Amino acid sequence: MYNNWMRRQRLLGYVFIGPSMLGVLVFFLIPAVYSFGLMFTNYKFMSPNIDFVGADNIVRMLHDDLFYLSLRNTVVFLLAVPVSIALGFVVAVILNQKIYLKKLLRGLYFMPYITSGVAVAFVWMLLFQPKQGPINGFLRSVGIEHPPGWLSTTTSSMYAIDIIWVWFLLGYNMIIYLAALQEVSSELLEAAKIDGARPTQILRKIIWPLVSPTTFLLLITGLIMTIKTFGIIQATTQGGPGNSTTILSLYVYQNAFRYYEMGYAATVSWALFAIILLITLLQWLGQKRWVHY
Amino acid sequence: MELKKRSLTSGAAGRLLVTVIMLALAIVMIIPFLWMISTSLKTPAEVFKYPIEWIPSHPTWSHHHKVWTGPKSFGTYYLNSLKISVIGMLGATFLSAFAAYGFARIEFKGRNALFMIYLSMMMVPPQVLFVPKFIMFEWAGIYNTHLALILPGLFTIFGVFMLRQFFLSIPHEISESAFLDGAGHFRIFFRLVLPLAKPALATLAIIDFSWQWNDYENALVFLIDEKLYTVPLGLQNFILENTVDYNGMMAAASAGILPMIAVFVIGQRFIIQGLTNSAVKG
Amino acid sequence: MRKKGWLAGIASLALVSGVMAGCGNNNNGGNASPAASGKSEALSSASAGSKASGGTVKLKMWGGVPPEAGPQTVMDNWNKAHPDIQIEYVRYVNDDEGNLKLDTAMLTGQDVDLYVNYTISQTAKRVESGFAADLSAFTDYNIDEKMGADAAGWKIDGKYYGVPTTKSSFFVALNKDALDAANLPVPKDWTWDEMREYAKKLKQGDGYGFIQNTEPYADPIDAVLSKEGYTKADGTSNLDHPLVRKWLESLNGMMQDDKTTPPLGEQLTSKMPVEQMFLSGEVPMLNIGAWLLRSSNNFTDYPRDFKIAFAPVPRLQDDAEGSMTRGGIGDYISINAKSKNQAAAWEFLKWYADGGMAPMAAGGRLPASKDADQDAALTSMLGDKADTYDKDSLNYVIFENKTPTFVRSLPQEVMDLRSQEYEKYFLGAQSLDETIAAMVSRHDDYLKKSK
Repeated sequence: MYNNWMRRQRLLGYVFIGPSMLGVLVFFLIPAVYSFGLMFTNYKFMSPNIDFVGADNIVRMLHDDLFYLSLRNTVVFLLAVPVSIALGFVVAVILNQKIYLKKLLRGLYFMPYITSGVAVAFVWMLLFQPKQGPINGFLRSVGIEHPPGWLSTTTSSMYAIDIIWVWFLLGYNMIIYLAALQEVSSELLEAAKIDGARPTQILRKIIWPLVSPTTFLLLITGLIMTIKTFGIIQATTQGGPGNSTTILSLYVYQNAFRYYEMGYAATVSWALFAIILLITLLQWLGQKRWVHY
Repeated sequence: MELKKRSLTSGAAGRLLVTVIMLALAIVMIIPFLWMISTSLKTPAEVFKYPIEWIPSHPTWSHHHKVWTGPKSFGTYYLNSLKISVIGMLGATFLSAFAAYGFARIEFKGRNALFMIYLSMMMVPPQVLFVPKFIMFEWAGIYNTHLALILPGLFTIFGVFMLRQFFLSIPHEISESAFLDGAGHFRIFFRLVLPLAKPALATLAIIDFSWQWNDYENALVFLIDEKLYTVPLGLQNFILENTVDYNGMMAAASAGILPMIAVFVIGQRFIIQGLTNSAVKG
Repeated sequence: MRKKGWLAGIASLALVSGVMAGCGNNNNGGNASPAASGKSEALSSASAGSKASGGTVKLKMWGGVPPEAGPQTVMDNWNKAHPDIQIEYVRYVNDDEGNLKLDTAMLTGQDVDLYVNYTISQTAKRVESGFAADLSAFTDYNIDEKMGADAAGWKIDGKYYGVPTTKSSFFVALNKDALDAANLPVPKDWTWDEMREYAKKLKQGDGYGFIQNTEPYADPIDAVLSKEGYTKADGTSNLDHPLVRKWLESLNGMMQDDKTTPPLGEQLTSKMPVEQMFLSGEVPMLNIGAWLLRSSNNFTDYPRDFKIAFAPVPRLQDDAEGSMTRGGIGDYISINAKSKNQAAAWEFLKWYADGGMAPMAAGGRLPASKDADQDAALTSMLGDKADTYDKDSLNYVIFENKTPTFVRSLPQEVMDLRSQEYEKYFLGAQSLDETIAAMVSRHDDYLKKSK
């Protein structure tokens, strides 16, 4: 009977998603389709001329060394996501226990997410400063003679950005995990404890599976957010030194807002889109194995 | 949920230990924040000093004073930002919950396909949406008005996705028993699901607010009149020709954090409330 | 079920392409389509609450200088003297996004009557899109005559689309006391090698002898190639010019061997405040421009106990004959071709260039026009700190030095690719030959693409 009712109420589904769908259509889908069209033009922002150039932009992209380099940097950048999710989970679990100053601590771990981007960039550059910065000062004091150059060399810069990004995302992951942990029913945990399960077992066998929809959410949105972001790089290295921290989204930004090459920017961004879509689809298909609703 | 027995935090000593460790690590998280505050109290020459002076030797309030007085007072920017972010946060949270319920709790034709379109729209890099958006806003006559920020701000795909994930994990038995009591979807949504999802809603509101509050790019391109400026745009006034007035900027930025802290603290209350509601201990 | 989803998708696509075609026009609203320009006129006259009653014309001028550094006083002075034409200053930050904002404002027909360009490549985009009025329509002001020979660098296709207003001097600021102590004269003309020697002699302990922002890094290359051409006769890149190699080698030598200038990696990551390092006496030579005066006059934030002398920017080639130096004149002010108030804007512009801009001097901007009182401007620029500068050498670098000047005209893309490659070299990530080869091949690619 319940199922029958569900079926009869199907149309209500459209009512529920309707308002949001309208917004997505106007503010996302239509502009997106427009930019898809731009891909086949040589449109330069402001320019009175716009010509269709067929697949020229795509050919150009496939021969563009910087595109491949940015792609590689993007992949390195994405490493930050799983790391920060793992750390965010650990912090959330700890901050959900009976400890002192719980509320304050939650706030502190969320601070990076709301601190001014300029301050974040500035401070990390100071911390990472190769000669006088405190991080290398510490490394030298524990006997590492040649600590990494962090943001100052072409080989280490992308990893330094990764560290900043893990730090930044941690609080965000934590707060969403915290919300998810509130829904884990305490009866279940009590029962597990009565059965003699150890805390680590409870964590692995009960809590982790129960928050798996959240992990899935964080993984997908984290990857998407990360692949789209460039603010932190713009504020620290501007894609340098050399072009060692130029990631795809920054490359799109430069083409669009610096060179006004809207056609090419659209092309690269649709390549970016295809990549994210592929990653998301793979995760979507793979979710049945580990996500439990 | 709390792991009581045999967990580290069972005794007061263990609890204290964990607290201290977490507190120490938390310092790392707030270093930039500390730097903001300390820079806002320094003189320009002290900004770049090595090693970093965390406590200014001659603190001055003049930068904070400058931020709030004179022709370029931050008062207007602040009010503008508040207006945009609060409307956006409330609207976006509600609309997301509404749509998320549809996606999570009602089976209808094309649901999965529509959801994939949703998700895929989240993946489009915003830089290329800018030209078409700008054409559209000009056409609609909302370029250089707050509506250009508020209207798009009402819609967050992330929010729909996030709440959908939460709604999915609410047991179906709840809906079923409500239905047996004669409730329809609207009643289930408002009376059952929304209250149950308080922690998730509060979390989304916090995150959405911080996004809206910090939105720089859209505000920059779509607002021209200085009267309409938001806080992130106002911060640009501290970028001088060849240098940056870090002291003034950090004074303004640290004031700019306060509303986000306020929203976080209020939101936390709902998260905790959710905890006490759902975790009824025997 | 799937099928329907796709159908809907296709339908919306069709719908959207209709919207696209419709919008395309008014976006491209330049000089091309009459419908489009009609629209933008309608817009600006509609928004002409600007042209208020009583015949008062209201102008808006966009510039990159913060209002308190001069522009506000300029506007106030004008407004007091001209009740019929009132002008308002809008500040935009002169970075990528700030310029985008200005361009967007013009595209949407917001009130932009005058605006300041800071590079030729930006101006060229605005000219191409029909947002810069051709000033040859106004015959009562001879730009060449007023501004001198340096102005010609700003011509686009042989025409002026703006008035270059400011003497923009680039120079090496010297710590005179340090030079005196080392028995070094203030040079009036020197080579990069000589400067390198100065840096070695002036270097104290672990400190540096010479410092600069990364912005003027490549000026020596531009000084050579502005003259000799960025491309060879056959149309390929000239970035393998021997003097480019020489510049790379000597700057690298100063970083790695002499340790007289900060290694790039360190400079990039410490947000090195070069003006402050110079003004505090830490580094004796600073490659900079006239805007330094704004900080160097500010003893509250930058206390200083030495005299500043000035030298021209050193040249790469041994022979002074045929060398160029960056600078000349800048702040190229255009009139929006879509503005309804072009005549009023022109009146203001002439007044500004011929001396109205005097209050800008405190921020390091001297008027370029021969009709402006340059001495008065210089006096106001130095203010009560005049004694802390070496007047002779300052006069020399600003007024007397007759070395021909160039204005940066290289497209942003090429500037970027060039700096990306030389950064890798200075960081030791690639060799000199690889660097030059990469610069040339990327430049060639660019030339091919933009043909």
